[in-house]
Amino acid sequence: MKRDHRDTCTDQNGSKGEYSSSSSSVLNGKAKIWEEYQDGCGDDELLAVLGYKVRASDMAEVAEKLEQLEMVMGSAQEDGISQLSDTVHYNPSDLSGWVQSMLSEFNTVDGSAIDDPLFVAADSSLITSIHFSNSHQIENPASRVFHDDSEYDLRAIPGVAAYPQTHLDSEAESRRKRLKTSIGSNSIGSNSGVGADSGFVSDPARPLVLVDSQETGVRLVHTLVACAEAVQQENLKLADALVKHVGLLAASQAGAMRKVATYFAEALARRIYRIYPQDSLDSSYSDILQMHFYETCPYLKFAHFTANQAILEAFATASRVHVIDFGLKQGMQWPALMQALALRPGGPPAFRLTGIGPPQPDNTDALQQVGWKLAQLAETIGVEFEFRGFVANSLADLEPSMLEIRPPDVETVAVNSCFEIHPLLARPGAVEKVLSSIKAMKPKIVTIVEQEANHNGPIFLDRFNEALHYYSNLFDSLEGSSGPSQDLVMSEVYLGRQICNVVACEGQDRVERHETLTQWRGRMDSAGFDLVHLGSNAFKQASMLLALFAGGDGYRVEENNGSLMLGWHTRPLIATSAWQLASSTESTR
Amino acid sequence: MSYLSHSIQNTMHHQKTPSSEDREKRPKFFINDHIDILVEILKRLDGPSLGVAACVCRLWSTLARNDSLWEHLCFRHVSSPPPSSVRPVVVALGGYKRLYRVCVRPVLSRLSDSDLVRRVWTRDEVQLSLSLFCVDYYERSGRLGGGGGGGDSSASSLMFLCNTVNV
Repeated sequence: MKRDHRDTCTDQNGSKGEYSSSSSSVLNGKAKIWEEYQDGCGDDELLAVLGYKVRASDMAEVAEKLEQLEMVMGSAQEDGISQLSDTVHYNPSDLSGWVQSMLSEFNTVDGSAIDDPLFVAADSSLITSIHFSNSHQIENPASRVFHDDSEYDLRAIPGVAAYPQTHLDSEAESRRKRLKTSIGSNSIGSNSGVGADSGFVSDPARPLVLVDSQETGVRLVHTLVACAEAVQQENLKLADALVKHVGLLAASQAGAMRKVATYFAEALARRIYRIYPQDSLDSSYSDILQMHFYETCPYLKFAHFTANQAILEAFATASRVHVIDFGLKQGMQWPALMQALALRPGGPPAFRLTGIGPPQPDNTDALQQVGWKLAQLAETIGVEFEFRGFVANSLADLEPSMLEIRPPDVETVAVNSCFEIHPLLARPGAVEKVLSSIKAMKPKIVTIVEQEANHNGPIFLDRFNEALHYYSNLFDSLEGSSGPSQDLVMSEVYLGRQICNVVACEGQDRVERHETLTQWRGRMDSAGFDLVHLGSNAFKQASMLLALFAGGDGYRVEENNGSLMLGWHTRPLIATSAWQLASSTESTR
Repeated sequence: MSYLSHSIQNTMHHQKTPSSEDREKRPKFFINDHIDILVEILKRLDGPSLGVAACVCRLWSTLARNDSLWEHLCFRHVSSPPPSSVRPVVVALGGYKRLYRVCVRPVLSRLSDSDLVRRVWTRDEVQLSLSLFCVDYYERSGRLGGGGGGGDSSASSLMFLCNTVNV
């Protein structure tokens, strides 16, 4: 039985193009695989379906080697791949052997100089710990490049049977706990036995370079901050050198840390070389990115649902309602509100929506298209609907009279802003003007959602540190998200553009001027608004929404003096607050 | 539940062995002759069982496609019955079967660790499911208008519901 299976294994020939035929022969042997599971000698079934033959007992080894291979290839690329010989590597579906042959080639080509591409700096203090191992023992435990957060432990899916426990596992557990850094990182991709680091060094004859990545992570952060300091002090030569270091150090990291470091390094480089990103007038592109961000993680959904809840409660008895949306984009917030209004006891009110958006480069009327889609939805669910769109470069250009708002006894008005107010801080006087415009609209409720961070301090270094912390948390929360990887990448690009703006731009170009809830509260209070407490319904809905997200145990909803905050573990990231006109006569709720 | 599956098995058994049974004794009860009873039985099944039942034969498949069965399923364990205004909205947005498949079932399974069937819904969970359902419709309508995907593919913003959670 076993022999038959191995025969089908050895049948196949190298190239990847043929793995479809090999996978069919795998399927024939599938029944045999189940029986082989018990002795742990069979091939991993999940990979086998893809056409890769990896024995279940080899999984940890293969994973480790793949990690090393990626590291080495990543560093080799900087010096050019041309140094690779013409060795042909056969049979990539025999993953273990193939990786071994690739690694051996890199090792022999670079020889003893393998540590050079990674640590080019003459400064030897950057080289933390490099071990050459010639024994079977498990090496310095901190040298595992990947550490697994137990929440994402893939072992749990197929059960213990697929990943045979060894006596080393209890040791591995305690090691893993020690390895948890403050900025968590997850392993790269691979489906193989990430959790089972019952690692054994396989080949005694070959020197292995093991990098102490936890140390490198700390050094990475220090280097980033040092670079920012250099920029602050206008020491551009030093900053330039440090930025390059960051690139090298980032290559040795995995997961969220690497991505964050890469984006910040790029932003710093732009600031140093004064290659500012051109002001993206292409709002349709940023809309697309935001859509992917909407789909990948709960932040925008949280914003919409909590704001809608506040608006719904304010509209409780109104028969005609008017919502003014400061940033309509794709209108994703409004279907849920319209549905809730449709099912309101006593029937739906007449719903009027005014959407404001930036001018489109290709002159298409994006606002009208969104309005039309919403009108269709309204007709489907039986809500009377009216829509108007306004194109404006900046909210400060709006005059309330343009919006044709009807008097309060005819319609009840709500103003909604999701991440649209902070750009106004780039121009002096703009925020005050917009807030007084809002007051002139006489809204029953104003909902504001903003990032919970102070990225608008006067000192660059403070802004940099704040942003580093903030976006590290944000990227960390994205790491656990399931879904198509393209969504994840686009969400990261979306956030990357924000990072670039916060770090590299100045003056009117720097529009990502986030401020904390406390700061916004101060502004709203002095502008003549009173806080409205978001009720327990909003809290419950938000908590339920978060519970639905895979990897959702990291998200936290907090109540903060009547406003709601969504955060990742202990760090709040966005905040929703609701406001009404101070001492208004119709404020009875 | 075991009684129901037992009765279903009996029915299947009847269908499979016609001639030998006929000679020995005439079957006194054939479920397909009593559609009202069959519907009553189907009304009490849970989601997966209802899906399985729809594969039994053409008659059962037609019956299971009836949206009111799925309406019962969606709101069976709600503590208070939903208002009458809900039905036209749900039907317009795609029907109860879709509501169950896309929203109710994932929401229930994510939010409760215990048995899917016996759990009692809260109004908030119903409300959340309906909101997500509406978002689903909105995205689908946009996609179709743009010449995109099939009518039955789940909207991407609800992908987070379709993806498996770490068990």
